Amino acid sequence: MSKNVKNPKSRGVSNAKWGYLFILPFFIAYICCTLIPQVMTFYNSLFMNYRDGLKQIGPKFVGLQNYVALFSQDNSGSVGILKYFGNTIILWLMGAIPQIVVALLLAVFFTSYRLNIKGQQFFKTVIYMPNLIMASAFSMLFFTLFSPVGPVNQVLIASGWVDKAVDFLNIKISVRVLVSLMNFLMWFGNTTILLMAGIQGIDQTLFEAAQIDGANSTQVFFRVTMPLLRPILVYTVITAMIGGLQMFDVPQILTKGKGTPNRASMTLVMYLNNYLTTSKNYGMAGAVSVVLFIISAALSLIVYNSLSSQYRKPKRHRKY
Amino acid sequence: MKKQLSVILSVITVAAALAACGGGSSAPATTAAPAPETTAAAATEAPATEAPAAETEAAAEESGEGKVFNIYAWNEEFKGFFEKYYQVPDGVTVEWHITPSDNGAYQQKLDEALLNQENADPDEKVDMFLAEADYIVKYADDAATQDITALGVDDFSNTYNYTVQAASDADGVVKGVSFQCCPSALIYRRSIAEDVLGTSEPDEVQELLNSWDKFNAVAKDAKDKGYYMTASFAETYRVFSNNCTSPWVDADNNLQFDPQIEAWIEQTDDFIANEYTLTAGIWDDEKNKQMFADGKTMCFFGPAWYFNFCMGNAQDPEKGCSGDWAICEGPAAHFWGGTWLMAPAGTDNPTMLADIMNTFINDEDVCSKLVENEAQFSNNQAVNKKFAENPDYGSEFLGGQNDVAVFSAMTDNIKWENHTIYDQLLNEGLQNSLQEYYKGVSDKETALKNFYNYVNETYPSIITP
Repeated sequence: MSKNVKNPKSRGVSNAKWGYLFILPFFIAYICCTLIPQVMTFYNSLFMNYRDGLKQIGPKFVGLQNYVALFSQDNSGSVGILKYFGNTIILWLMGAIPQIVVALLLAVFFTSYRLNIKGQQFFKTVIYMPNLIMASAFSMLFFTLFSPVGPVNQVLIASGWVDKAVDFLNIKISVRVLVSLMNFLMWFGNTTILLMAGIQGIDQTLFEAAQIDGANSTQVFFRVTMPLLRPILVYTVITAMIGGLQMFDVPQILTKGKGTPNRASMTLVMYLNNYLTTSKNYGMAGAVSVVLFIISAALSLIVYNSLSSQYRKPKRHRKY
Repeated sequence: MKKQLSVILSVITVAAALAACGGGSSAPATTAAPAPETTAAAATEAPATEAPAAETEAAAEESGEGKVFNIYAWNEEFKGFFEKYYQVPDGVTVEWHITPSDNGAYQQKLDEALLNQENADPDEKVDMFLAEADYIVKYADDAATQDITALGVDDFSNTYNYTVQAASDADGVVKGVSFQCCPSALIYRRSIAEDVLGTSEPDEVQELLNSWDKFNAVAKDAKDKGYYMTASFAETYRVFSNNCTSPWVDADNNLQFDPQIEAWIEQTDDFIANEYTLTAGIWDDEKNKQMFADGKTMCFFGPAWYFNFCMGNAQDPEKGCSGDWAICEGPAAHFWGGTWLMAPAGTDNPTMLADIMNTFINDEDVCSKLVENEAQFSNNQAVNKKFAENPDYGSEFLGGQNDVAVFSAMTDNIKWENHTIYDQLLNEGLQNSLQEYYKGVSDKETALKNFYNYVNETYPSIITP
């Protein structure tokens, strides 16, 4: 290697080698920590493999039987995995839409040179703060706050608004709102900071030019900020979506793993966890993981294509 | 210089990536690999060793046994008794591995440790673990536990028969002992009984509540006077389920509802509809709040460990009502829970293990202290008899009533039958699912279907209707 470096003629080649060497760690980490587990998960999903008491049953090759079981009707006459997929999407949308809207607004306010908000560092720190609390601790806090004997009910009863404690954790809408609220609180600060970085990356002269041309704030936002912010926005939406599909800790702890009421707040990963905890059912849990992977990949592709194709068009128009 | 720097930097990056990878890869591997061997580390939450190293080694060499005694448990109850009443041999450090039993978490932790027992480092082997009535069959009837009579625990003349049966496998080989006997009583508030029944004397109260018909009728009277009969929809569950005539699953592993379970559901439907009880679960704060002096609930059900370990609210010096309680047998004989000390196969401290077991069932002094100081109902008939016949003995919490005498009279009726390895999570699962129905969240049919889904996910081998 040192020989090559010393030879001035092959300098370019040796630089490329260094480049490969530097990206090597990522690929090793990717293969060990992502690719191999992924392939193993798929492999495991083809086996009947669980524990009955202390006795191991299997592993016995069963082909796609686990997938068939996953997509056949369960005792309640519905297909479990579709129901939990629906729950996951609803819980995610309820948190993600306000999260992105609020984050976008805050990012625009913070970066606007006309508003010129003082003490930005302080506000940025404060809105980022909830993200530093562990999701489980945050969820436990809400569980205690909203329990039938918790402080929220005490306040409601003391102030005479209700006669009997409201069982927030057994009402479909309130559980979903609480889960979304927690996810929103935890993640909007993070999104704000990402979007702020995106807006600050846009050339200031474009905003000035738009204003000189007589554009008002709304027009600047929709015609200048939004199109140029799209790459960052796509990134934000896709990462939020992947995170949302994997939602687990908040509803798991808030509902003690039961997905109350009537399994309406049970997410896909909670469902996966049901298979894994007691019976160590790697076959079924593996099948759920593979389905989850396919869904995440498909949705990411759709979001990426729909958002970034719109992004490319105006660029082309500008040439004419 | 630059080249050297870049070589060093690249080596560091590669090394760092590999190191991170090594740590990270074990996590996904546990969820993906069929054999859970990688979780060996989970079993080793080693608290700091207390005894000085030199002394430890010398003593351990003498006995030829392990220096660390690992005990797996799901709460601190036995730990307290153990630390007070058992003299740990010199040079041995006791390490407690405590995992709460909610959602089967304790069993999961214990299973990993037991399945890894053969390969575990001697200091990390499970030397004793605690098991509860709901899942003791799973461990007693498995090669993971060993015959304790071979270790020198063979005198069961004073223990109650059902405690020995529970810890035996299908062939009758004894694998563990219980330090307590757990006949479960009706625990009632004297002042409320006085108001509702016109008496608070245990014998008279028993006479008025000795069948379900009477119990249900009194529930209405209690409601009319502004009281709740019980504070949880599942309060009477054990009273019924302990008298089941069939196990949860039949010989072909079909899930089945015993008539007793159906009777419980019927009673609870009635109690909820008429507001004789609350929709809280048996361990919920909402129920426990009813134990305070301003509580409105007359009846609770539980053994000695329940009123001395789980009724902290009633014993609260400010808000509690210690002394306003009494016990009687209630509508049906039953037991609830109980903690067994089990002998795992492959322990490296068999002598100490046998010594602990003998101490807690046959050492009269220790058993007496359990009764006297800890308000336990011990698993030693001679000791219990001594207290039952002592006119001066009485529980302060129960207003001076001799609880040992009441429990002694109840022990003859306890049966150990129809248990399966699935009991804990099936009992919990049924209660959790039906709780939603009783809270009005779902109809009964949906609640039962959710229970079947839960069973399918939790125990793939059980066939649901």
